[in-house]
Amino acid sequence: MLKINNLTATVNEGAMTILNGLSLDIPAGEVHAIMGPNGAGKSTLSYVLTGRDGYDVTGGSVEYMGKNLLDMEPEERAAAGLFLSFQYPLEIPGVPTMTFLRTAVNAQLKARGAEELSAPEFLKKARKIAADLKIKPDMLKRPLNVGFSGGEKKRMEIFQMMMLEPKFIVMDETDSGLDVDAMRIVADGVNALRSPDRGMLVITHYQRLLDYIVPDKVHVLVAGRIAESGDADLAKKLEAEGYDAYAA
Amino acid sequence: MPTQPNLTEAETRLGGALPHRRVEAWKWTDVRNSVKETASGLVSACEPVFELPSDLSVNRAVNTAKDHAMGTLAHNFSGESYLIDVPAGYQSIDVVRLSGLSAGHARIFIKLGKSAELTVIEDHRSDEAGFVNIEVNYDLGEGASLTRTMTHRDHAQSTRIVTSQINAWASAKVIQHALSFGGGLSRLETNVAALGEGLNAQIHGAYLLNDQRHTDMTSYIDLGAPDGVIRQTVKGVVTDKARGVFQGKFHVRRPAQHTDAEMRHDALMLSDTSEIRAKPELEIYADDVECAHGNTLGALDESALFYMRQRGIPLKEARALLTEAFVAEVFDDLAEDRRDDFMTDIRTWLEANS
Repeated sequence: MLKINNLTATVNEGAMTILNGLSLDIPAGEVHAIMGPNGAGKSTLSYVLTGRDGYDVTGGSVEYMGKNLLDMEPEERAAAGLFLSFQYPLEIPGVPTMTFLRTAVNAQLKARGAEELSAPEFLKKARKIAADLKIKPDMLKRPLNVGFSGGEKKRMEIFQMMMLEPKFIVMDETDSGLDVDAMRIVADGVNALRSPDRGMLVITHYQRLLDYIVPDKVHVLVAGRIAESGDADLAKKLEAEGYDAYAA
Repeated sequence: MPTQPNLTEAETRLGGALPHRRVEAWKWTDVRNSVKETASGLVSACEPVFELPSDLSVNRAVNTAKDHAMGTLAHNFSGESYLIDVPAGYQSIDVVRLSGLSAGHARIFIKLGKSAELTVIEDHRSDEAGFVNIEVNYDLGEGASLTRTMTHRDHAQSTRIVTSQINAWASAKVIQHALSFGGGLSRLETNVAALGEGLNAQIHGAYLLNDQRHTDMTSYIDLGAPDGVIRQTVKGVVTDKARGVFQGKFHVRRPAQHTDAEMRHDALMLSDTSEIRAKPELEIYADDVECAHGNTLGALDESALFYMRQRGIPLKEARALLTEAFVAEVFDDLAEDRRDDFMTDIRTWLEANS
């Protein structure tokens, strides 16, 4: 579903190479985790996949559902079903959460040539998902993420994800800022989206999220490339032994 | 006026100098340079259209001279003034609408008696190039309350100067919202004088300008009595080669103790070639007051735009949504129907210019 081949990428207008020959193949239906020390390129990978300005691909390729992902604008990637749960979700002052999300849902449907959701349909769906994630209805009226706590912002990311029903999900440090109860709620949401035609890439520094979202494969990212791959047990080993063994 | 250079042809027809860039208060809005001698309305009277509640009427009154340049021109060319006398204690759910201000000079006086309440909606608009010089004077009696809404949209080659003088006696209240889409050269100037204690003034505005349009929002709040509460929020959005000007001044005189005044001007520049000039000023002689002013210029937040695009919102729409949210705050407490009208106009502008 997502095929990354020998990808290299730089930031600061080429001043720093962050991804350095990264290859990864994530078939539909699988959940892969990427773990690695700080500065390994985890967040850069999430931004390169979603097309953020300032992250320049200098080599390699990314194929997403048979298309060249790197040719697409960020909003085209989103409409094609690619979703990033941000490590630091942005505050959008003055735009109520529901307005934001309804605009996003309908823009994606329109881009796919599908019919837009009516206001009652949208509201019904939003209320149900908010209740599942224990998000107070009052929060949905407030400007998106403005004044929300770290944990609330992460929960709001999952709320958006469940509303948008993406095909491929990248989660960047979704566990940071979450207490155990919140993590369970978030993991239940993510697990509910696991399906044979959906892929996921879970980026995390710590193993604990992977107790709740059990991956099919775990990859260790060091210095911009995959240093080792294994099953879920690899995460436990990393938690016990740290990343020192991979030091250059 | 400082020493006079030779009069332009337009000034010769007018019989006197126009404000120009070497006059401090007009340094960013050079009227002399923008007015052509052939401009329609240059030396003729404007004929405003008034829509009034049935119990109010417009009278004509002999014009009295003014001591500032645009006022003198208005005096010379407008013919008799328009006068609306609103009796003490007046209340009405019907509003006063003022329109037809598309070319020429006019002087308008609206006088609110003690505790009178009035809503005035002013439409400053032209579809053809021309020269417009409007002076609007409000006199607010003790405890009177004025709600004033101004919309402004001119032809791209027009020049418009609107000078408002609001004199407020004790406990008077004025809530003003102005929305401008600019013109060739335009200035909406609002002067408020607190002549009695306890003035409550909210002087808000927004301008959204494209092409080479120019709007100048200048205000001067002169506080000569205690216990005034002043709130001012002006937001600007400029793109292409447009130019926005904000000049705001709070003048807190010695008797104006316990004044509580806040001024904000925030502007978004959507293009590198657009221009913002801002001069917020506080001049304070009273020692027990709370006054603050703030002024920011910036671009749309790139991180926020990326976040929105990642959710599938196209760039143009994301820009429009963020800009709308930025501007909308100015009109938060505007009456719902007028707010809806404003937001519709703003969205139409954003669709074309984001």
